Amino acid sequence: MMFRRKLLAVFALTVLVSVAAVAWSISSLTRRAFERANEERSAALVAQFRREFNRRGEEVAHRVETIAASEGAIRMALALNHGSPDYGAFLNEARTIADNQQLDFLEFIDGQGTIISSAQWPAKFGYKETLNLVSAVPKDAFLKQEELPDSAALGLIAVRELSLGEKPLFVIGGRRIDKDFLSSLELPAGMRAMFYQSLGSSFSPQFLIDTSGTVRQADQIAPIIQQLQHQRQETTTLVHWSSDAADDETIDAIPLNGRDNQLVGVLLIGNSRRPYVELRQHIRSAAVLSGAAGIVLAILLSGWAAARVTRPVEQLAHAAREVAAGNWNTQVAVSSSDEVGELAESFNRMTRELLAQREHLVQAERVAAWRELARRLAHELKNPLFPLQLTVENLLRARQQSPQQFEEIFQESSSTLLAEIANLKAIISRFSEFSRMPQPQFQQIQLNDVVQYVGRLIQAQLDAPERAPIECKLELAEPMEPIAADPDLLHRALSNLVLNAMDAMPQGGTLTLRTRQLGDLSYVEVSDTGTGLTPEECERLFTPYYTSKPHGTGLGLAIVQSVISDHGGRISVQSESGRGTTFVIELPRNADKLQNADQSLDATAGSH
Amino acid sequence: MRLTGFPLLVASSLLCALSASASTRPHYGGTLHVEMRTAPTSLDPGDSNQVDGFEWRNLFGLMFDTLVLLDEQGRPEPALASSWQAEPGNQRWQFFLRRGVNFQDGAPVTPDAVAASLRKTNPTWKVLSEGEAVVIERDSPAPNLPAELTLPRNSIVRRAGGKISGSGPFAISRWDPGKKLSLAARDDYWNGRAFLDAIEIEMGKNFREQMISFDLGKTHVIEVAPEQTHRATAEGRHVESSAPVELVALVFRRDPQSPEDGRQRQALALSIDRELLNTVVLQGGGEPAGGLLPDWMSGYGFLFPASINLELARQVRSEIPHTTSWTLSYDSNDPTARVIAERIVLNARDAGLGMQVTSASSADVRIVRVPLISVDAQIALSELAAGLGLSQPKFASSSVDDLYGAENKLLQSQRVIPLLHLRRGYGVSNTVKNWRTARDGSWRLPNVWLAAENP
Repeated sequence: MMFRRKLLAVFALTVLVSVAAVAWSISSLTRRAFERANEERSAALVAQFRREFNRRGEEVAHRVETIAASEGAIRMALALNHGSPDYGAFLNEARTIADNQQLDFLEFIDGQGTIISSAQWPAKFGYKETLNLVSAVPKDAFLKQEELPDSAALGLIAVRELSLGEKPLFVIGGRRIDKDFLSSLELPAGMRAMFYQSLGSSFSPQFLIDTSGTVRQADQIAPIIQQLQHQRQETTTLVHWSSDAADDETIDAIPLNGRDNQLVGVLLIGNSRRPYVELRQHIRSAAVLSGAAGIVLAILLSGWAAARVTRPVEQLAHAAREVAAGNWNTQVAVSSSDEVGELAESFNRMTRELLAQREHLVQAERVAAWRELARRLAHELKNPLFPLQLTVENLLRARQQSPQQFEEIFQESSSTLLAEIANLKAIISRFSEFSRMPQPQFQQIQLNDVVQYVGRLIQAQLDAPERAPIECKLELAEPMEPIAADPDLLHRALSNLVLNAMDAMPQGGTLTLRTRQLGDLSYVEVSDTGTGLTPEECERLFTPYYTSKPHGTGLGLAIVQSVISDHGGRISVQSESGRGTTFVIELPRNADKLQNADQSLDATAGSH
Repeated sequence: MRLTGFPLLVASSLLCALSASASTRPHYGGTLHVEMRTAPTSLDPGDSNQVDGFEWRNLFGLMFDTLVLLDEQGRPEPALASSWQAEPGNQRWQFFLRRGVNFQDGAPVTPDAVAASLRKTNPTWKVLSEGEAVVIERDSPAPNLPAELTLPRNSIVRRAGGKISGSGPFAISRWDPGKKLSLAARDDYWNGRAFLDAIEIEMGKNFREQMISFDLGKTHVIEVAPEQTHRATAEGRHVESSAPVELVALVFRRDPQSPEDGRQRQALALSIDRELLNTVVLQGGGEPAGGLLPDWMSGYGFLFPASINLELARQVRSEIPHTTSWTLSYDSNDPTARVIAERIVLNARDAGLGMQVTSASSADVRIVRVPLISVDAQIALSELAAGLGLSQPKFASSSVDDLYGAENKLLQSQRVIPLLHLRRGYGVSNTVKNWRTARDGSWRLPNVWLAAENP
């Protein structure tokens, strides 16, 4: 993966993780804050409920007290003390008074608990009231289940006693805890109050009300009610009304006990989680947007940073490739003082060192080459000079010791001297020839033609009777694209290789000349089946003046390599000891040179 | 002094006597103002949506005549029909019309007109005219046909041009359906002109509104609920009450489904304290009812026990292994019915029976109020059975034994439990003279006249 992509991925991942972490943190904080606010709001609502409860209780007590002091109650108390009351006369009395005093429940009972008149159940005259007033009359209002003809209701009840004679009259009045009561509670947005009238152990949906009446999906509240009925303590439950989390509601259930500490009702305060869910969604949306923006920013930043960081690295990589290609004087610009700048500085120092080393090495090699040349030259020259010295000494000695034979000796010695001098000249001309290697004159040639020409020339030498039999094989690829080359120089190079191959096969063998073409490259291979070369010999084979032959100058393969190099090609050797050697020449088409060659040819033709 | 004083004393005494005599002597004129709860939208006796109730009977009696009337003892007496006769078997009857009687629109009351009127309300009857007589042929013996012809729906009317004309003592002068009916006395009424010039009837007024109007002197005659009769009287109002003419009963939706069901119904009937219902809830505005017909009508009402027997009720209840909890409904517009229903629930509970008051129309039991629309016991029982949704009783003769047998059979079906017989009460202004409420609660307005002062 590219460094830029890595950098982008790291940046994006960092941004995403950061945004996710921040979003999670904010969400968690929000949730805790919301839950805390919910608890506070629920507590406030419970407190409000209790205040309203107490206020209404006082109001009910006041109204009941007013009724107890009213003329109707006094008349009833008097009738009670004058004997058995006429139920018919008071049948609608309680209802009328209750309507006037805006009470939902009102009963007048005698000392034995017998109902004289009832507002909520007028037909109940003569029956006994369940409330036990024998011990004491409660001063404050309290919760009480009121049985009604068709159901039961929870009431906030107050009791007052009216004693005008021996038989007391009790006034029991109250107001219903219903949706109107719930409506009087000032609920903050998102909150609602419900009330469950607890009549038995089993849950009855019709007894669960809110300000709008009966509660929909009341069955979901049942577990809360049952848990509270079992535990008798406040509980908090999260209710999922639908698959939409925004519909969830946290419900606090508060038990309401009656006079005998019996559970008579349950106050349920619902806190909608919609604000929280919507806020959470907003946070998530903001996080997603921030993440997206962060990723875009990461792309831009990573691009900028990568450009800042990778451009010097890329320059270094490019420079390294240049160095690898032999351009050792490559330098990179040092644009910063950081690690990358230090690296660039080191790179520049390295190339400078390499250049210095190479110069030093070249000089050393040059010195070595000169030494080798001197050694070789001395060696080459020493061989002919030694016979010359002997011949001249022989001549001097002959003139002093036997002048009569001097002439004969002089003649012999002269021929020897001439021969050795010719030998010296040949040696000198070879060195001179190497030093005067001409630049190739490119022209369009068919490589196979050059190879075939060399084959024909060498065939005469191969056919010499004193030579061990060597078979010459030509394996030429057809067709071959023409290339631009100097045919004379190629001929000379190939001839050198062929002669070396022949020298490598003193016992005879097979000489193979092979051509082939791969793409724009043309190949010529010269193979022998001779003794082969050692790896060390292969390494030094193209070094000038190096030879493995007793009488070689070591310039042949150097000349070959020079020719091939001047053609833009390469030469390599593959050899296996005892099985022969193959020299492989790789030549480019030199199309540009071919064009120049054609133009020069045309110009030449035109000039003629 | 003595000579001059005595003639003056005699003269002043005569003047006082004459003025007193003038204030108590009937005289023509005046408009009687009446208010009532019912708000009929039609005055056509043939309208099947109308109910044979007291209000219709009293209204129709002002505007329309029937062929026959019943006297206080339930005996038929001539009205539009001057005489009648039945052929053997009592299936074919001939009614001979009174001559010279005209409808309000001036058309004469002819046999054809009478036959057309009766055919409209009794499509199963074969009614035809024969000379001066109207002939009615029934599918089965109808010994009480004359009494049946006194029912409000059998009032004789002439329907022409979308208007209703009757031959009664008053003619319709203005009709605002459901709100107000104005009647004017007919000078040509065959039985003599009424003393009153006109009657104005305000409709759709509840008891409370009527009482307020009455106390403010805006109306002469109002209806008084049975449970308010005692109080109204105690507060100084003049209330005319009928004999008990309305049955309050529990009616089961279905016949007993099993012997246990029947015994449970029996236990319920025994557990109800009718006496307390009457004295407390109805303030003595009725009578406890053990039978369907009141004692004054049948003469044997005492044979059906009406008193509570809680001990026996509990015993019967204890013999039932599994009881059904019934639902009890009542007319939600009737507050007294509600109290009665709630009391019955309490009574039933005392006997160990489950019962719940409900407003659902499909309750197991409902409280109904059915008027005894005729003073003829058999007709009253038949109409009662029809009103209660019970099978029609069969009468072989007009004997009391047949009546008792039929009523007993209806009670034995255990579809109905009688509770109370209620009286009809009317508050009558002191300026209304010669007012007389019949035993069956019907008005006798033609002889009523108004004193000089305003209502």
